[in-house]
Amino acid sequence: MDQLYGWGIYAISLLTFGGIYAVLTLGLNVQWGFTGLFNAGIAGFVAVGAYSSAILTKAFDASHLGGYGLPIPVGWIAAMVLSALIAWAIGRICIRLRSDYLAIATIGIAEILRLVLKNESWATNGPRGIPGVPKAWEHLPQPWDQVAFLLTVMAIVGLIYMALERAWRSPWGRVMTAIRDSEDAARAAGKNVEVFRLQSFILGAALMGLGGALMAQYARFIGPDSTDPVKATFLVWVMLIAGGSGNNRGAILGAVLIWTVWSMTEIVTSYLPREASVFGYEISNLPVRAAYLRIFLIGLVLQFILQRYSTGILPETRPAVAGTPPSGAQTRESTG
Amino acid sequence: MKKLLLAGAAALGATAAQADEVKIGSVAGVTGPIAEIIANLMEARDLAASHVNEQGGMFDGDTLTLVVADSGCDPNAAVDAGTKVVNVDQVVAIVGPNCSGATLSLAQSVAIPSGVVTLSESATSPAITGLDDNDLLFRAAPSDAYQGIALANFVLASGVSSVVVTYANDDYNAGLGAEFIKAFEAAGGTIAASQVHEPNKASYRSEVATLAAAGADAMVLFAYYGSSGVTIVRNSLETGAYTKIFGADGLVDEEFITQIGAENLTDAYFTTPGADDTTGSWKAYMDLASGLSAPTGPYVANAYDVTFLMALAVEKAGSTDRSLIAAALREVATPPGEVILPGEWAKAKALIAAGTDINYEGATGSIDFDAAGDVPGIYQLHTVTSEGTFKSELLK
Repeated sequence: MDQLYGWGIYAISLLTFGGIYAVLTLGLNVQWGFTGLFNAGIAGFVAVGAYSSAILTKAFDASHLGGYGLPIPVGWIAAMVLSALIAWAIGRICIRLRSDYLAIATIGIAEILRLVLKNESWATNGPRGIPGVPKAWEHLPQPWDQVAFLLTVMAIVGLIYMALERAWRSPWGRVMTAIRDSEDAARAAGKNVEVFRLQSFILGAALMGLGGALMAQYARFIGPDSTDPVKATFLVWVMLIAGGSGNNRGAILGAVLIWTVWSMTEIVTSYLPREASVFGYEISNLPVRAAYLRIFLIGLVLQFILQRYSTGILPETRPAVAGTPPSGAQTRESTG
Repeated sequence: MKKLLLAGAAALGATAAQADEVKIGSVAGVTGPIAEIIANLMEARDLAASHVNEQGGMFDGDTLTLVVADSGCDPNAAVDAGTKVVNVDQVVAIVGPNCSGATLSLAQSVAIPSGVVTLSESATSPAITGLDDNDLLFRAAPSDAYQGIALANFVLASGVSSVVVTYANDDYNAGLGAEFIKAFEAAGGTIAASQVHEPNKASYRSEVATLAAAGADAMVLFAYYGSSGVTIVRNSLETGAYTKIFGADGLVDEEFITQIGAENLTDAYFTTPGADDTTGSWKAYMDLASGLSAPTGPYVANAYDVTFLMALAVEKAGSTDRSLIAAALREVATPPGEVILPGEWAKAKALIAAGTDINYEGATGSIDFDAAGDVPGIYQLHTVTSEGTFKSELLK
């Protein structure tokens, strides 16, 4: 019974992490899937959202800026607004860059954001980070706090999904696709490409900021290690590409699936014996080595998915121009 | 993948058939920025568990199993790792994780709400002291605040009153650096220049040049040797900036000597939270730990201690009921009681069975937890011998 309860809590945790990552992949889907903006600086927006909501919602602590103790939803909104503002400033400068140049620019800007947050110790407690970030529903008894938090995350993902589906099918969404597939054609049709690209960049960044705020709440801690680009940028890309970029459901599926693989592989490897003999080689301390095997497994799963489903598990469907093959898919694969 | 799953399923079937096991979560940053240090810690944890199992095991011959989970020194990964060991593996208690951020997030979002005791061997952030933890978060490493004072006093005592400080911008080294600067200035020393450096750069010549321009007597360096320590010392020696170097745990690894050369480190001094190597408990540990790759490496003895101590606490509690562990941990770690040294599991087990109080004296010190679950610091001074090894003595 305890075992079953334990697995239940673990499943909730998996879905919660998956849901938080889904917010990030949906944000990236707006930028890359809809408009073709290659944002390689997700970690920067995650960090901005995480820190801003943590600072605004936490009670006073002498080691960093804060003491505002604002309600948690205010923290979420502030995270989105601040990320959007920063995205606007970055976008004004960089949005004209073509995808690979934009990628380089965003990597640099994300690292600048992360380094600023890491070094402005008066505000962020520097490399030590901010502990005790208030989490929604934390005062409910176990397991209801976890259930309520999961439901909150699911509701947020659901709302974003519905809004993005609307946007995707609307004229606005069709302009985005047009820009992605051929900027010149969109321009010839009289669309102000820069403005649309900027809108998409800002919207995506706001969602990433929200994802960061949720992440800080869930771990109840935010520090420079939390927004390591491997987990906050590249893992999100893996999720979107595996799930199917350009498809909102694919983005959510990719996030939950890849996170599940990432997390569950440890359970599989934890059943490995402590020592083993393979082809005559004695391998000691397997559980420690197995931690690296997990990273290999992630690569393997991604390879399998991309070989089997070359446009992601749930490929893009084109509601606006039914029947036409997604011409963008070919070119985007090579860069993705 | 399929083969692996099958192998996993087979192993699962095998463990179910064995005698009962008592599980303790062994969470550590196995991958991530300090993986090479952690590998030594994991050996020490395993060694402690093997001593328990060789001398009668837990309760009525049950096996003590350490369930490894990777926290990767990442606060989010630590939440995931903690959720797994607490819920899926149903561990009684947790030893680890290592990095302070990971420890804080695991404790706050998983262990404390679930009522599971966490005992870290190496989390040194002062934030842990003040955390509202229902007496569920303990550590066997002294807070950074103490090591900063210890090193500052040693530097002044060795006749150096003006130093330059450079520290890596990570939670451990930056925290230590800030505490050192505070303590050194408070004790009357002069900080000619202080500087933060980002780890993992190919060269630190410009940083070293800035420090050299300040013209102090020595350089104090807080860094992990792998990510920036070796390069900074090398750059400093190449340019003749500073040859007298003080440092802390992150540099104490024989690989550091190998890369720099023992002949270049004759005027280098390093402190680590360590142990009084004149005590019987340290000798007992060293006799047992000779098979480890690095028995005196940073936090390796602490890793042995936390694992052994946690096993004692579970034995003392007499059951795998999580709610009894915190009180039992305090009882077995602090006086009064019959002294138990590292490795003396059979003796401890017999005493606990007889209802006698015990008091574990670990390799790293007496591990008497204060009200916040912290331990006072004992520090060692390491110097480099001409054979390329570290010579350690207790810092008074």
